[in-house]
Amino acid sequence: MIGEISHFLSLSAVVLLSLVLIFNLFFSLNKFHPNQLILSVRLFNQACWLVFISFGMYVYLAISDDFSIAYIASHSNSQLPIFYKVTSIWSAHEGSMFLWIVFLTAWSILFINSLDKDHPLKKLTLLMLSLIILGFLLFLLLTSNPFERILPFGVIEGADINPVLQDPALAIHPPMLYLGYVGFVISFSFISAYLLNGDFELQWEKDIKNWSFVAWIFLTIGIALGSWWAYYELGWGGYWFWDPVENVALMPWLAATAFMHSLFASSKSDVLKTWTMFLGILIFALSLFGAFIVRSGIIDSVHSFANDPERGLYLLGFSGLITLLALSIFAYRLPALNSSKLVVTGSKESFLSMNNILMVTSIFSIFLGVTYPLIIESISGEKISIGPPYYNTIFSPLILIAAVFIMISVDALWQRSMSLRVLFVTATAPTLLSLLSMFLIWRATAVFSILAYIGIFSGLLILFSYLFRTINNVFNKKYINKGSAVAHVGLGLLFFAVSMNSILSYEKNLNLAPGQSISVNESVQEFSFDDIRVLKASNHDVISAEISLMHDDREIFLNPQKRKYATRGQITSESAIHASILKDTYLTIGDQLDNGSWTFSLKINYFIKWIWFSAALMVLGMLLTIFKKKVL
Amino acid sequence: MNQLLRFLIVILPILILIFFAKVLLVEEEINFANFEAKNFPEFQLNDLSGNPVEAESLNGIKLVNVWASWCITCLVEHPFLTKLSNNDIEIIGLNYKDNDAKANAWLEKHGNPYLFSMYDPRGDLAFDLGVTGAPESYLLINNKVVGHIQGEMNQSKWETIFLPLIQKAKRSS
Repeated sequence: MIGEISHFLSLSAVVLLSLVLIFNLFFSLNKFHPNQLILSVRLFNQACWLVFISFGMYVYLAISDDFSIAYIASHSNSQLPIFYKVTSIWSAHEGSMFLWIVFLTAWSILFINSLDKDHPLKKLTLLMLSLIILGFLLFLLLTSNPFERILPFGVIEGADINPVLQDPALAIHPPMLYLGYVGFVISFSFISAYLLNGDFELQWEKDIKNWSFVAWIFLTIGIALGSWWAYYELGWGGYWFWDPVENVALMPWLAATAFMHSLFASSKSDVLKTWTMFLGILIFALSLFGAFIVRSGIIDSVHSFANDPERGLYLLGFSGLITLLALSIFAYRLPALNSSKLVVTGSKESFLSMNNILMVTSIFSIFLGVTYPLIIESISGEKISIGPPYYNTIFSPLILIAAVFIMISVDALWQRSMSLRVLFVTATAPTLLSLLSMFLIWRATAVFSILAYIGIFSGLLILFSYLFRTINNVFNKKYINKGSAVAHVGLGLLFFAVSMNSILSYEKNLNLAPGQSISVNESVQEFSFDDIRVLKASNHDVISAEISLMHDDREIFLNPQKRKYATRGQITSESAIHASILKDTYLTIGDQLDNGSWTFSLKINYFIKWIWFSAALMVLGMLLTIFKKKVL
Repeated sequence: MNQLLRFLIVILPILILIFFAKVLLVEEEINFANFEAKNFPEFQLNDLSGNPVEAESLNGIKLVNVWASWCITCLVEHPFLTKLSNNDIEIIGLNYKDNDAKANAWLEKHGNPYLFSMYDPRGDLAFDLGVTGAPESYLLINNKVVGHIQGEMNQSKWETIFLPLIQKAKRSS
């Protein structure tokens, strides 16, 4: 019964949103009546609340083990703790789409009600948001209905959540990511509304500035958490795989990053406005593209959901429709938007427009990497894969250019060219110091890889240039933009950590019987397999190995495990990790061989924690920017 | 210049849309095409431990799964294959364009659901079978290929495509 009510509430939301659209599209041809907007906003608010209540009831259904609901029966289990019963809702396609829509609705209702009662863009934004929510609700109900019952009788026990997803990170990684993705619906709808409205005297930047900043924070945390989860919990042994789904999350992130920089310029000096609008539309378009890639099954990926062409076609059609709608208005208004002001070479705006070009180039390269295998397959029928070498080669020159621009552009002035003398002063010391450090790193490690060294140089360039700025700030009281500085130091650190990680890390496969010990190399002097035991937990059996290591003259104990889950029979591997500031010792246990010995995979990962630390710095930088008064 | 830009902003997304719609529709056609049973190709391959594989070992009802250590989707379907191998069907691996050391390490790390894996580094047998990439799965009944699934094997594909074929074969014998 509750299932039916929950289903009915979602359907009612569809009806209300359709009413909002019909009402405004057909009746606004007559004279505009002031109450029309008030009524539309009310209908819209009620529709949003119906979605929230419907989802709340769905959560209740999951907690109360209603296995007559097909989706809950195949993804939950009565033995699960309540926490996982709730998170199981977004462990597969239907439920996660539901959550996606709930977040979409939440952002929309907050934004609409934050606008002034008589804001000139309120009505058009409301219509755009209603259309988007309506389209996705229909997608949910028509092609991936989470409310479907198993008729005539439900099953007694659910099929259990996929053990890989039985992890606290599942509770936060997808919600964070979705909050980020759909948060950009605000810039998308608002900019579309602005373009439709056609009054270009209106200031629109400040209304969506903080909304986009917050969405960016969610997206950054979501991506970083996904990478952290893959490494620490899922035992993938790495932090980034250039998997199609990681790529489709990175594209909106890059677009959003470019958008925020561009927004900064266009609100300060009336240039780059078309760039900013284009990027604002592009972010959400790329988020929709991501949803399409993941949920249509068009590309095989670790994240892909069911392979269902019908869903794919609907998503493609609808995402295409609203993206084209926004882009057509943009193209139509383009001549009227072009500002007569020219961008001065060497001014801050010129560097920010360079940043836009770099970011869009990166997005395009990733887009090509994701779609190229499909293009080749549809032309020649051959399957090819595009992997890390492609992305590494494309990105190292781009990040070098980005680093150089970050170094010199911070001291650039608005609307005025930068003097060569200033350029020389800012660039010389960081460049020399970076070259020197690179030489020292090369001497110490004796490893050389041109791509990695480009990354190291780029990272150091940014770090050193900000080091000098900080010194200048402390001793000469020279102004420093704290938010920007912290975020860019995070970026420099990221380049540095990723590159150092790629040249220093290594992996060893070992093969030992209990009681044996061996010497691996100069750093891991002794590796002893002390004991192995079988333990029982509530819903799984555990094989746990006890290992002691002499690593760089320190003794470390590690307990890698294998778990066998009762309900699905699935075996998962729990890596044991010993973390120090510089490196992680990452150990995974494999299978038992016929002679009674076990296999182990030992990985030494350098600078890995620094990667997430750098993401945290970027988020901190953004928070500082949001809470600083009068940014724009 | 501006005209061209305006034109591109609209036309490029349309082209991308058409392209993806085409890819989706073509995939749909393949999925619903009727599969014609054919004989399993002749082959001379070793398994991953270096022993020659006898053609007789493919008799009966078997699932041949094409996999490789470089294939990410193989990792995704791996738990489901493990489950299948425990109670439903015997699975024979076809290790495709891989390196035996890496392949063995992969099996040690993730577990081995296969009865044995044929080692096909050049993709010879895979070529005769019509493999387009990894993972793919073939259903064999008495040395005849009766079913074929491209991409990840999962519960729903198993139940809707392969299970009916197995039940049909069991009924007719």
